[in-house]
Amino acid sequence: MNAPVSADLTALSMTEAADAFARGEASAEALVRASLARIDAHDRTVNAVIRLDREAALEAAASQDRARAAGETPGPLAGAPMMHKDMYYRAGKVSTCGSKIRRDFVAPVTATVLQRLDAAGAIDMGTLNMAEFAQNPTGHNAHFGDCHNPWNLPYCTGGSSSGSGAGVAARFFTAALGSDTGGSIRLPATICGVTGLKATQTRVSRAGVMPLSFSADNVGPLVRTARDAARFLRVVAGHDPKDPTSAREPVPDYEAALTGDAKGLRVVVLETGFLDGADAPVATAFEDSMKALAAQGAIVTRANAPEIMRAVNAYTAVISRVEGATIHGNWMRGRAGDYAIHLSARLYGGYAMPGHTYVEALSRRGPLLRRFVAEVMGGADLVATPTLKTRVPTLAETDIDADPANWDRFMAVSANTRPFNYLGLPTISVPCGFDDRGLPIGLQLAGRPFAEGTVLRLADAYQRVTDWHRRAPALP
Amino acid sequence: MEPDLVVPTMEAIRRWAGVSVPNAAARQGLADMAGLIAEVEAVRAGMVFEDEPSSFEAALADLKEPAR
Repeated sequence: MNAPVSADLTALSMTEAADAFARGEASAEALVRASLARIDAHDRTVNAVIRLDREAALEAAASQDRARAAGETPGPLAGAPMMHKDMYYRAGKVSTCGSKIRRDFVAPVTATVLQRLDAAGAIDMGTLNMAEFAQNPTGHNAHFGDCHNPWNLPYCTGGSSSGSGAGVAARFFTAALGSDTGGSIRLPATICGVTGLKATQTRVSRAGVMPLSFSADNVGPLVRTARDAARFLRVVAGHDPKDPTSAREPVPDYEAALTGDAKGLRVVVLETGFLDGADAPVATAFEDSMKALAAQGAIVTRANAPEIMRAVNAYTAVISRVEGATIHGNWMRGRAGDYAIHLSARLYGGYAMPGHTYVEALSRRGPLLRRFVAEVMGGADLVATPTLKTRVPTLAETDIDADPANWDRFMAVSANTRPFNYLGLPTISVPCGFDDRGLPIGLQLAGRPFAEGTVLRLADAYQRVTDWHRRAPALP
Repeated sequence: MEPDLVVPTMEAIRRWAGVSVPNAAARQGLADMAGLIAEVEAVRAGMVFEDEPSSFEAALADLKEPAR
């Protein structure tokens, strides 16, 4: 993996940057200065950044450079510039959560994932724009301004990790944490043309992370390649005593699983509800991706599961709304006017749902997961769908505060991603094409529980024979 | 939900949660919940589940990928 170091250091992926640093081909300071210069040049139009910790980033980079010069072995992410969705707490720093309500909230603790990234040598440059309290799939934000798609500015970025997707796509930094409760990593990944990984539910600690839904929240990376995601996940995954819900499963070397070999992997395409009715450019790009995988030796079959998916979708809606309403109860009682209209309206509905329906939705989760794996996946290793089955909408087309008639288009954005949160399965989105307006299209791959290695292996194999993930937008 | 249930539901929310309807969109959202209620009813009518409790975390562990 010894990619030649580009004159433009922002062209390097996360693993390329860390490897270049480790080999002494690029200093951490040079990597950070290149990122800062690109942000300075282009964030006025993209609006991905909420807080830029310029001096702290340069100090951290200098520390990495000194350590390397002293002969210390660099961490696996050493020197790689990153920024993170503004809901990962760092003690003593403001974490706005994209909201007016928490505009001045100073975090009392540091998130476990940030501690693990720090220990791996990653350079944290600050915080990123996001949907208010991570509560919409488009990335609209009434308080910090909408984030814009680097490929075409009037178009939405996807959400809720809007700044994470837009910033990685714009080459502002090499990697970003997002969070995913209904698609909030995978949607900005697909819409901005980058790679996004939601691991198995419980795989990554949520300690020190703003909650949205106790049952379905996930922490994960937006990066440029499956290899980046593999290295990043190995650093942040694993049990955390501060998050008793985090799994005790051992964390494998995910990069070692990237053999480039797709031969014999069984992939089932979900048609009903996921592929039917897809916009033509999306359907074409998706089918082309299946042909590419088949050409590499994967065995591609088709399946339908309308009954199971209907139940999954209904219960998903119940859980996310009830848990969101509960978490926001105090603010809904006292500061409801400080939310965007669509958010307070959505939270309000959660109070109308009976407790027994919520418990029913939770208790069906295990049985539905068992049925999905047995009846839908059968003997397959992976499930494939488009990540978003429509072309990317504009910010205006999905602004429900400006026009409630946009509701259906707004909700359709997350139709293909939400079910995998209820099911808890590891799921990745990788770029697989562009539509006729020059906006990215994504391929979604899901695996069995804790099969992140297999998901990453197939995604990496696909990226070895395609170059969609290597393309960069021309920024104004 | 049915139009004549919206106002009583708003009152129940106020009593149980102490939350007042924040805007017209929220009120409309209650009315639109009929669709979700119908979906949940349809699931109950169409699928049979074993009696609870059941564990999602146990299912995750049981369904792990076999070792490669």
